[in-house]
Amino acid sequence: MSEGSTESRSLRKFLRHKPAMISSVVIAVYLVVAAAVILGDLVTVADCDRRYGPRTTPGFGATQEAEKRLQDIVWYAEQIEQKLELREKLRRRSMARGEVPADADIEQELRGLRIGNLRPADVSADELQDRLDGLWDTVAGLDEFDDLNEASAAGGEQAATISRLLQTAHRQMQSLYADQSFGESFRRDLHLLFGTDVAGRSVFLRSIYSIRVAVLVGVVTGLISVTIGSLLGLAAGYFGGWVDGLVTWLYSTFASIPNIVLLMVLAYMFRGGEVDRWLNDRTGDGFRSLIGGSLDETLIPVFVAFSATFWIGPCRVIRGETLKLREMEYVQAAQVMGYSRLRILLRHVLPNISHLLLINFSLLFIGAIKSEVILSFLGIGVKNGASWGLMIDAARDEVLVGFFWQIGAATALMFGLVLAFNILSDALQDILDPKHV
Amino acid sequence: MSTVTDKSATQPAGEQADVVLSVRNLFTSFRTDQGEVNAVSNVSFDLKRGEFVGLVGESGCGKSVTSKSIMRLLPEFVTVYGAESQILLTGENLLRYSERQMRDVRGNRIAMIFQEPMTALNPVFTIGWQLDEALKYHTNLNRRQRRDRVIELLDMVEIPNPDRRYDEYPHQLSGGMRQRVVIAMALACEPEILIADEPTTALDVTIQAQILKLMKDLQERTGTAILLITHDLGVVAQTCERVVVMYAGQVVESASVTDLFHDPAHPYSKALLESIPRSGQKQKGRRLATIPGIVPSLFDMPPACRFAERCPLRQDKCDQVLPEITDHAGRSVRCHFPVNQNSERR
Repeated sequence: MSEGSTESRSLRKFLRHKPAMISSVVIAVYLVVAAAVILGDLVTVADCDRRYGPRTTPGFGATQEAEKRLQDIVWYAEQIEQKLELREKLRRRSMARGEVPADADIEQELRGLRIGNLRPADVSADELQDRLDGLWDTVAGLDEFDDLNEASAAGGEQAATISRLLQTAHRQMQSLYADQSFGESFRRDLHLLFGTDVAGRSVFLRSIYSIRVAVLVGVVTGLISVTIGSLLGLAAGYFGGWVDGLVTWLYSTFASIPNIVLLMVLAYMFRGGEVDRWLNDRTGDGFRSLIGGSLDETLIPVFVAFSATFWIGPCRVIRGETLKLREMEYVQAAQVMGYSRLRILLRHVLPNISHLLLINFSLLFIGAIKSEVILSFLGIGVKNGASWGLMIDAARDEVLVGFFWQIGAATALMFGLVLAFNILSDALQDILDPKHV
Repeated sequence: MSTVTDKSATQPAGEQADVVLSVRNLFTSFRTDQGEVNAVSNVSFDLKRGEFVGLVGESGCGKSVTSKSIMRLLPEFVTVYGAESQILLTGENLLRYSERQMRDVRGNRIAMIFQEPMTALNPVFTIGWQLDEALKYHTNLNRRQRRDRVIELLDMVEIPNPDRRYDEYPHQLSGGMRQRVVIAMALACEPEILIADEPTTALDVTIQAQILKLMKDLQERTGTAILLITHDLGVVAQTCERVVVMYAGQVVESASVTDLFHDPAHPYSKALLESIPRSGQKQKGRRLATIPGIVPSLFDMPPACRFAERCPLRQDKCDQVLPEITDHAGRSVRCHFPVNQNSERR
């Protein structure tokens, strides 16, 4: 069984490891989405904050109670009505001044109305007003019932009437908006896939945008922490003496502070903008243009806060492993071959702990994502755009009234990523350890 | 086999041109929480060009500390060498060398191989890579020349198909093969001295014999002086020309192999030889001889003869005066009352 090198052996083992394969495909999907958000503007911050429909609609076009259906229809109608009322107002004002009504401008403004990618129907404003009036008549018919939900639940003729009227109202509402191509309506369905939140924003888009935040936080803090941790750990383990004493003291001190408290302190430190202002003054406005905004608007405070505490884990593990490897005979053999200490450290010890770097990275990646969610939930993490933590925080009240779409979407996406990473790092531990053959 | 002419500690170093390594009055101590502990005291011996010398003694007698002192591998901040101590490599005192100068000596002029072939090679690199690195570090050969040299070295240590083995990883080789690779690596830069710290202890007996034969052949071919550190007298008898016996951090006897095995002068050497199991009719029913007592603790060394407590020939003087190394019937012995033919016989 001694065919091939260790690399190809590891690769074969990996390819045969089903959970590892599945989880890496899942992670790849997340990474592609994150890359598309970061590089290709798949979802922008503006998309996260835009209204896509009435507030708190459920996802997957779930059937709703009659009352809610009516409310939604009315909401769509009101959007058009607001514009038309504005038109009336302006027209009256123009008439009073004895000017020619600036209808063209109003039409223009009406065309500019967008709800997600819905546009008003391509007809004149008057025609639109007629259609709207028709809708209001139907709605008035529905208003005769005291309680739509009760009436439709009771069944019989009343229920049939309500159902018919609602269908008519829905059709009339749709006539207010332009017909959509297949692509457009597909995108609209996608935007409303997980419903909307209390402000009518698309839960789907927000949770997709959150992948960007999660992956960025995970990758950046993972890389920084593993780099710092492994360099300090290697130095401490290999050189021993006062270097070891210093590093051990440093991580023991950091580890003795409860993690979340330290994270909160650091996050607050950056919050008021003092640090940001100070740095900006020093660099002559160069700092803000470099990071594209004030510190508070970027993820940098989160990166710093996490990296400051997360390096402890890899540092400890790698120090221990280096202590062990230092006594291995091949390290001593490298010493008797006259190699320099740096060479021994980087070319003989480091390759033997590379599996630890990878495993620690994947563990920190998950840890960072979870911590980001917790901090954002506490209101000191991510500030703008969206993150799973913000979504879960926002969903607190919704959950009480039984609306679970926002918290569900955020949790499911986070769960998928974290689980996939956990499985992968577990598999990597089995596959990559050079001592396992 | 050359006759034994071990010089006493007082003789000036480098007198004989063919002495490559000369250890003079080596004291090695360690700073510990309980104070300074002397692990090796007043050890002196010479290694001549192309000579095969055995350094024997039981566990903890200072064999490895001696070899690591020569390589200056002991942790610097806890190790103290005696002011009089000298380790002369062709006349130059290694104890005065800087770490940088030592790096040129290690691998290049003095090489060392260790006991455990299973861990002596880095598991994440091919053996070719590891041999290549040694050459890259110490020679100016280009890539092609290095590859040729590596294959030549693998061939020299009798590894079959060196071309194919070049790209194999240590875990793909057996223990004996790995030890061969380790030897090839040690000899890559044609060092003057090879220190072998129990190179065959971890191998089974047949492989052990092969490796010893290989080392002996290579020593004859390359002229490298070999210092073989072992506790196995059988190995010494098989390979070495001269033996240095250590006990509790001191050299107690230094003699040619024939002299030592036929006629040990120091009671400790004699006791060691007697505790080797032998086969044959005469031995039937006889109990294996052992040396009573234990090695004195490093923290509590007797001021006089360190072997006195366990010595069958102990006399009053032994508890009072530390015996000096004296030339005695063609060998050096550290004993007031050496046993051998020329004196009394037991």
